[in-house]
Amino acid sequence: MKKAANIAVAAVFLIFIGAFSVLHFAVPDREFSEQENRYQQQAPEFSFRALFDGAFTSKFETYTTDQFPFRDRWITMKARCELLSGKKENNGAYYCGDTILADYENPGRDDIDRRVDYVNALAEKIDAPVYFGLIPGPTMINASLLPKNAPTDDQQTVLDWAYHRSRAAANIDLASALGAHRDEYIYYRTDHHWTSLGAYYGYTAICETMGLTPSPLSAYDRQTVSEDFCGTTWSSSGFTWVAPDTIETFVPDDGTASITLFNGREQLATPLYDTSYLEKKDKYSMFLGGNAPLRSIETGHDGPSLLIVRDSYSDSLAPFLLEHFSRIDLVDLRYYASSLSAYIAENGFDAVLVLYSVPNFTTDLNLFLLSL
Amino acid sequence: MVFSSILFLFLYLPVTLAVYYLVPARWRNVWLFAVNLVFYGWGEPVYILLMVFSICLNYVSGLLIGKHRDTDRKKARRVLVVNTVLNLAMLFFFKYFDLMARTLSAIPGVDIPTLGLSLPIGISFYTFQTMSYPIDVYRGDGHVQRNFIKFGTFVALFPQLIAGPIVRYKDIAAQLDERHETLDKFASGVQRFIVGLAKKVLIANNVGMLWDVYADAAPGQLTFMGAWLAAIAFSLQIYFDFSGYSDMAIGLGRMLGFEFLENFNYPYISKSVTEFWRRWHMSLGTWFRDYVYIPLGGSRKGLPRQMLNLLIVWALTGLWHGASWTFLFWGLYYAFFLILEKLFLLRWLDRHHAAGHVYTLLVAVSGWVIFQQTSVSQTLVFFQAMCGLGPAGFCAGQDLYYLSSFGPVLLAACFASLPAGKALFAKLPEKVRAVSVPVLILAVLTVSTAYLVDSTYNPFLYFKF
Repeated sequence: MKKAANIAVAAVFLIFIGAFSVLHFAVPDREFSEQENRYQQQAPEFSFRALFDGAFTSKFETYTTDQFPFRDRWITMKARCELLSGKKENNGAYYCGDTILADYENPGRDDIDRRVDYVNALAEKIDAPVYFGLIPGPTMINASLLPKNAPTDDQQTVLDWAYHRSRAAANIDLASALGAHRDEYIYYRTDHHWTSLGAYYGYTAICETMGLTPSPLSAYDRQTVSEDFCGTTWSSSGFTWVAPDTIETFVPDDGTASITLFNGREQLATPLYDTSYLEKKDKYSMFLGGNAPLRSIETGHDGPSLLIVRDSYSDSLAPFLLEHFSRIDLVDLRYYASSLSAYIAENGFDAVLVLYSVPNFTTDLNLFLLSL
Repeated sequence: MVFSSILFLFLYLPVTLAVYYLVPARWRNVWLFAVNLVFYGWGEPVYILLMVFSICLNYVSGLLIGKHRDTDRKKARRVLVVNTVLNLAMLFFFKYFDLMARTLSAIPGVDIPTLGLSLPIGISFYTFQTMSYPIDVYRGDGHVQRNFIKFGTFVALFPQLIAGPIVRYKDIAAQLDERHETLDKFASGVQRFIVGLAKKVLIANNVGMLWDVYADAAPGQLTFMGAWLAAIAFSLQIYFDFSGYSDMAIGLGRMLGFEFLENFNYPYISKSVTEFWRRWHMSLGTWFRDYVYIPLGGSRKGLPRQMLNLLIVWALTGLWHGASWTFLFWGLYYAFFLILEKLFLLRWLDRHHAAGHVYTLLVAVSGWVIFQQTSVSQTLVFFQAMCGLGPAGFCAGQDLYYLSSFGPVLLAACFASLPAGKALFAKLPEKVRAVSVPVLILAVLTVSTAYLVDSTYNPFLYFKF
C-alpha cells in the first residue's frame, strides 16, 4: 500500500515534468502568438560573449516560457484561476462579464497641463483654426460595468483638467456625445477602440464644433465585415473565452477617395478599408491600413483641407469626415518625427484637428512635437 | 536560476534527475558538482569563478587545519583566522562595500566611489556555509574532506545554494560520502517540493501584489485598513516565499538522497518573540548561536555581557539580511524585544498565552514593515496609518476592492500558516490520503505551471540576500 502510494507520487511528478520537457522539444517553435499579438522568443544562438554578458541565459529563459507547449491555454487557465480566487482583473484588465476593460492611470495634473500646453503652443503659432478633442476610453463610458470600487482612475477628471487648460484651440465635447449613447455598441467589448458607431457619434460632436452638418445615421449603408474580432484587451487579459466583437463599416469604399500612405521610406496607395487585415489578428487595422507616420487622402469632394494629429481612433473616424473636406491628412507623432508647423505651412491646411483618446494622450511621448 | 521557473521545472530538473539516477553511484557527486555550477552560473556566469575560488580557499584551509589541529594548535588557529577573514572580506566587498562608501562619503571631505557590483546570488548563504567547514574541522566537530569534488558538491549544492537552509558542514559530511536514495525518500521529497512550489507560486507571488499596491502610497492615500492589509500581505508573502523556498530545497535534497535540517516551523503561532526566532529561519539562528553567540560567551559571563552578546548577534543578523541601515535597525528592534523577554517579559507571557500571540504577531508584522520599507519616512507613514492616525482615515473604496480580491487568498494563507491543515490531513484514512496526494500534486503542478507560463510577476525576494 505504502509502496504503491509512493510510486504514484513519484510517477505523477516525473511524468508531468518529463512529458512537457519532451513536448517542448517535439512541438515546433512558433514565430508569433496570435492570442498575445506579439512575436515569441526564438532559440538564442550560443556564443561565449552572449553567455558572459548574460544575454544568452536571459533569452533562453524567455524562450522556454514563450515556447512552452500549449502556452495560450495555460495563460487562459491562469486568468480563470485568478477569477476563481476572487480577483476581478488579470494583467491590468478588468473582467466585466462579456466586456473587458483596461485599467487607466492618471498621471497627475502637472503632467496633463504640460501636454495641453503643447496643443496651446501649436494653436498660437499657426493661423489655421485648431480643434482639440479628447476621446474617452471605453473604461470611462462603460464605468458602470466595472467591478465595484475598482481602483482605476477617472478619465473625466483628466478631461476636465485638459479642457480647462486649453486656451487657444476649440475644445470638442466628445464625452457628452458618447455618454449620451453609452447603452449602444459604441466600444468594442474586447478592444480599446471605439466601434464605427462610436466613431459616428464622435463625428457628430466634431461637426458641431466645426460648424458642419453631419449626415444622419440613416444615410449610411451599414455593412458587417467581421464577426470574430478579438482585440487588444482580449489579448492582454487572458480572458479568451469572452465572445469576439463585430466590425462594421458605414461609409462605402466606392473608390472616390484616393489614399497615399507614407511609411517613412516610400509612398503606397492604400484602400479606405484594407480587408486583408480581416484575415489576421489585428483586424482593427483594416481602417486605412493601420498605423503609419503620414497618410494623405484626396477625398474627391469639394471643401477645405484638414490635418488630423491622430492616434488609431481617427482611422475609423476618417471615413465619416471625407464628404466635408477635399483633403484630409493624418499624421502620427509617434512615427512622424519632424516639425509639424513646417508641414502645415507647406501644405496650407485650412484646419487642424488634434484628436487623441484619453489613455493615448496621457502616455504619448512625442506630443512635444506639436510645439515645434 | 530559480526553482519556480519553467526552465528549472521542465528542463534543468528532468535532466539533472535523469542523469543522476542513470550513472553509477560513484559518479553522482561529480554530476551534481557539474550541474551545481550550471545552476549557479545561470544568472551571472562570471561569478562561477568566485564560487570556485571560495571552494578552493576553504578546501585548502580545511586540509591545513586538519593537518595541524592535533599537533600545532596555534598554526591551525592562524589558518582558521586567515580563512575566516578572507571569507568575510569577500562577503563584505560584494555586499557591503557600497553601503560603507555611501555612509563614509557623508562625512565632509571623504569621497569613496561606489562600485555598483551586482550581488553574487546566494553569497550570504554560501559564505556562511563554507565558513562553517574549517571551523568545524578546527573544533573537531567534522572530519577533513580530502575529496575536492565532494567538498565542491557541498558548497554549491543547488537545492539550498541560493536561499538556504544554511547547511553546516558537520550536518551533511557523512551524506557526502554515503547516502541512500530510496523510493520512500524520493516520494517524500516530491511532496515536500510541491508544498514549497504551491507556497511560492500560488500564495507568495499572489499576496505580494497586494503589498506592492500600497507600499509607496502617499500619506493622504494610505488608510488604516490599507496599511494593515499591506502589512499582513507582506508578512504572509515573506513567510511563504522563504519557507516555500526552504521546502523546495529540502524536497529536492531528498530526491537526491540528502536530508537537510528544517528551516521553518510555523513561526506565526509563536507566543513570544523568543519562540518566533526559534521557529523562523532556524538554520540562520543556529548558525549565529554556534559561531557567534556561544564563542562570545553566550549567557555564561553574566547578565550585562549576555545583553551585549545579544545586541552584537542581532545587529549582525539584521545586516546579514541586506546592505542597508534599515536592516541593522530591524535587527536591533528584535534585540530590544528579546532582551525585554529575557529580563522579565517571558515569565509573564508564559502565563498569558492569548496576549502572547497577539503581542508576537504585532511585533512581527510591524517588524516586516521596517524590514521592507526602504525609507524611514515611509515606515513612519505606515505606522501612523496602522495606528489609525493617518490623514486618509479608516478605509476607502479601493481597500474594499482589494479586500474582496485578495480576501480568499489571504484567508487561505493564514490557514496555511497554522499546523491545523497538516493535522487534519493526517487524520484522514490512509486510503484517502494515498489517493488524494497524487491528485493534489497534479493539481498544484498544473495550476503552478499556468502561473509560471503567464508570469511577468515572479520576483524571488531572497535574491537580495
